[in-house]
Amino acid sequence: MGKTELAIVVLVLIGIIVSSSTMYYTATTMNNMSTLTTDISTLTEDVSNLTSSVRDLATITALIAQSVGQFNQSLADLQARLAAIEASLAAKSKETIIVGTTDNVELTLDPAQAYDYFGWCILQQISGTLVSVMPNSTTGSDFVPDLATGWNYSSDLKTWDFTLREGVMFPSGVEFNATHVKYSFDRAIALIPNIPEGAPAGLGYDAIINRTEALSEHKVRFVLNFPFSAFLGIIACRASAIVDPEHAPIAQVNYTAGNAQASTPIAFVGPYFLSTWTRVGAKDIEIRLDANPYYWNATSGKPKIKHVIFRFYSDSSTLRLAVEAGDVDMAFRHISPTDALDLDQNANVNVWWGTGAFIQYLCFQEKRAPFDDARVRMAVAAALNRSAVCKTVFLDLSQPLYSIIPPGMLGHTEAFRKLGTANYTLTRNLLAQLGYNQTHKLTFDLWYESSGHYPMSAEQALLYKQAIEASGVITVTLKSADWSTYRANRNSEIMDAYVYGWYPDYVDPDDYSFLYWASWLHTNYSNATQVALYDQARATTNLTRRAELYAQIDNMAVQQCSVVPLYVSSAWAITKPSIKGIYLDITQDMRYWLIYFG
Amino acid sequence: MGLRSYVITRILLTIPTLLLLLTMVFLVMRVLPGDPVALHFEKKADPWQVESMRRQLGLDKPLLTQYAEYVFGLIDVNYFLAHGYPNLGKSMSNFDEVGGQIFSVFPATLELAIYSMIIASVTGILLGVAASKSYNSVLDQLIRGLGTVTYAVPVFFLGIVFQLIFGVYLHWLPTSLRIHPSVPPPATVTGLFTVDSILQGNVIAFFESVKALLLPSLTLGIVLSGIFVRLTRTNMLETLRLDFVTAAKARGLSEDTVTYGYALRNAFLPVLTMMGLQFAALLGGAVLTEKTFSWPGLGGYILDRISSRDYTAIQGAVTMFGLVVALVSLVVDLLYAYFDPRIRL
Repeated sequence: MGKTELAIVVLVLIGIIVSSSTMYYTATTMNNMSTLTTDISTLTEDVSNLTSSVRDLATITALIAQSVGQFNQSLADLQARLAAIEASLAAKSKETIIVGTTDNVELTLDPAQAYDYFGWCILQQISGTLVSVMPNSTTGSDFVPDLATGWNYSSDLKTWDFTLREGVMFPSGVEFNATHVKYSFDRAIALIPNIPEGAPAGLGYDAIINRTEALSEHKVRFVLNFPFSAFLGIIACRASAIVDPEHAPIAQVNYTAGNAQASTPIAFVGPYFLSTWTRVGAKDIEIRLDANPYYWNATSGKPKIKHVIFRFYSDSSTLRLAVEAGDVDMAFRHISPTDALDLDQNANVNVWWGTGAFIQYLCFQEKRAPFDDARVRMAVAAALNRSAVCKTVFLDLSQPLYSIIPPGMLGHTEAFRKLGTANYTLTRNLLAQLGYNQTHKLTFDLWYESSGHYPMSAEQALLYKQAIEASGVITVTLKSADWSTYRANRNSEIMDAYVYGWYPDYVDPDDYSFLYWASWLHTNYSNATQVALYDQARATTNLTRRAELYAQIDNMAVQQCSVVPLYVSSAWAITKPSIKGIYLDITQDMRYWLIYFG
Repeated sequence: MGLRSYVITRILLTIPTLLLLLTMVFLVMRVLPGDPVALHFEKKADPWQVESMRRQLGLDKPLLTQYAEYVFGLIDVNYFLAHGYPNLGKSMSNFDEVGGQIFSVFPATLELAIYSMIIASVTGILLGVAASKSYNSVLDQLIRGLGTVTYAVPVFFLGIVFQLIFGVYLHWLPTSLRIHPSVPPPATVTGLFTVDSILQGNVIAFFESVKALLLPSLTLGIVLSGIFVRLTRTNMLETLRLDFVTAAKARGLSEDTVTYGYALRNAFLPVLTMMGLQFAALLGGAVLTEKTFSWPGLGGYILDRISSRDYTAIQGAVTMFGLVVALVSLVVDLLYAYFDPRIRL
């Protein structure tokens, strides 16, 4: 092959290569163009979709914004509703108070039988009496109208007339009138032979009241067997609660499970009515009181708290824990003195302090030696150290008592101070007259109640023993018994010396002074002069004269020492700080209808 | 002897046991010093009133008549059907039916006993098995120590500690009572609050009654679990060494199957007996736990009736307790026969 041929071949090859390359490039470019076009088309479509989506998004955003707005509105509505519910609940919670107690209704809520503190406490909330004692009374004799609007008495104090309040309705729709008063007292007296342990029997209604007369629809008269200046005290106590004849047969009314009305014969004319009373095996489980819409004084806004629920705890330490845990709004009876003082330092609770009227005293069995001699009794009384007991056992929450009548009350004296405190000189001198000395000591048994019926009995007894034995001429043997055995021992008169206690039935010296010779104490002490003085005090309304007579009784008691006063208690209640309206006065009454949430 | 014959024999044997118990209770209550009727009156009671009460309680009748009335009253089916509880006489304090009083407080005790026993047995058995499986290890020593401590700790002390922690400081649980004071209890159907609240669809009452149950049943359950830990551990250790356990392992069965399916079933028998005894004792009322938690059960009732010298109520409660123990013993014996066929031989 020549050079030309070679050149042509090369050129052809180059042409082929170039053309092939060009064609390839062109094809590729075309292909790319096609893809690009498709892409552009897709892109255009996407842009279009995106535009549409953006438009949708805007719509959605708008919708979301609208929904959020609605949601916010709903949330605001919901919050408002919740706030309303909370406010309603808060208001409702302020209408209910939960009270914890270690108390218990002893037997019944029939005023013809009930004779215990808690039974009377419940009766006070749900029943009505003709008169009552003003809250915060310092003497217990500030009587105010209740179901009676006024009263007067004859000059001989044997005829007492009461004008009854009009318009007081029983829940049954019956209007309260004089026949109800007459029926209530006639029934109480009629049941005395069948219920010798009842309050009317204990207070001697049959001995005091000769008859009750309904003078008119709203006038009632009590004719008494003897002049009785403290009669208003009797009328104000729960044994005088007005009963509803429809539910009050001339027979004792007992607890009926599941039927509150059938469990009590009283007329529900008090601030509350008994809506639930659950009791198992003579122990209360729950008592619920609800505001009585028929309460005659409801227009005054009472009761301030609409529902009172009582819960029952086995002992004071469990009750204290319930208070601290906030399980109960209020604890009343019995938080121990130590716990009460401790809780007083707790900012989450409020401790209310008040006057007490519960007293304890030392009794001597006088039918046999050694206490058949007044000098022996006085010797032991002189050796007592009341202050040490009040300080050590009750942490100064009780006060030494030197008269059977508590301080603040008419007729209170300091008569027993004459014997001194731990006055061992007097003790030794008196006993020396009878041949007792450090080698020949007086010995006797000192009994105390051991099942918690009285507060801190064992601790008290130990200190009494120590103080008496510190005289050096007396040996004391401590003995104890549970409440049932203790009172049986008292009745069978086997105890040399024994500590006993007294809650007043009505706050009047008349209900204390007789303790010096009370037959049921079985001390075998009697003194006609003291009884005559007591009767004279009953027969006068002259307060100065009455105070003089009770002082005379006290002075004679110091010489005889049949019963020796020991101490008078204080009262306290524990509540949440928001609770107000607690009155702890000398009556020992807890008026739940005056309590409110502050 | 087949299972049926064993059951019949065992039930028949319960009858003379109960009769002996009833006779002893009846006689002891009557030979105690002091006149229970005279003790009832505090201040002044005329002799005719004392006599009237004695008549009302049937105590004026000859001893044999009283005994016959007591026994026949107890098995009076018509009375039982009419009242829903046996005739245990009338309370001396308020003449209420003692049977009614006891059956009112019994559900509280039963509920506490059931939950406590569940906690005690589950905890005790599981820990006992775990200890036996890791014999002489640190875990074993720890569990043994725990068992001893829980058994030794006084129930009232543990209860107060729980009350302080969970009630007073944390405010998680109520310190006492069967339901929080602010919540009304459910209406009585069975008397068991947890069951009654479910039956009535009362969710709040259910949760509150469970919350109230937690502290007392945990306290009692933990204290009781100690004895189950030790008993289960000891019996498991013995059982795990027996040939049939080795054989089961040799057959390639899993460890859990061998432990729980074979060994525990055999080791369980003494634990079951103890469970029966403890449960019967709990049904008589866990006095300290009930007192600590103000739990209104049978223990507190008996204590209260004793302090009130309510002899008829005490007699009824002791009889009831005897019946419960006899019944639980019977059930335990039957379960024993079920778990261990050798018993029936």
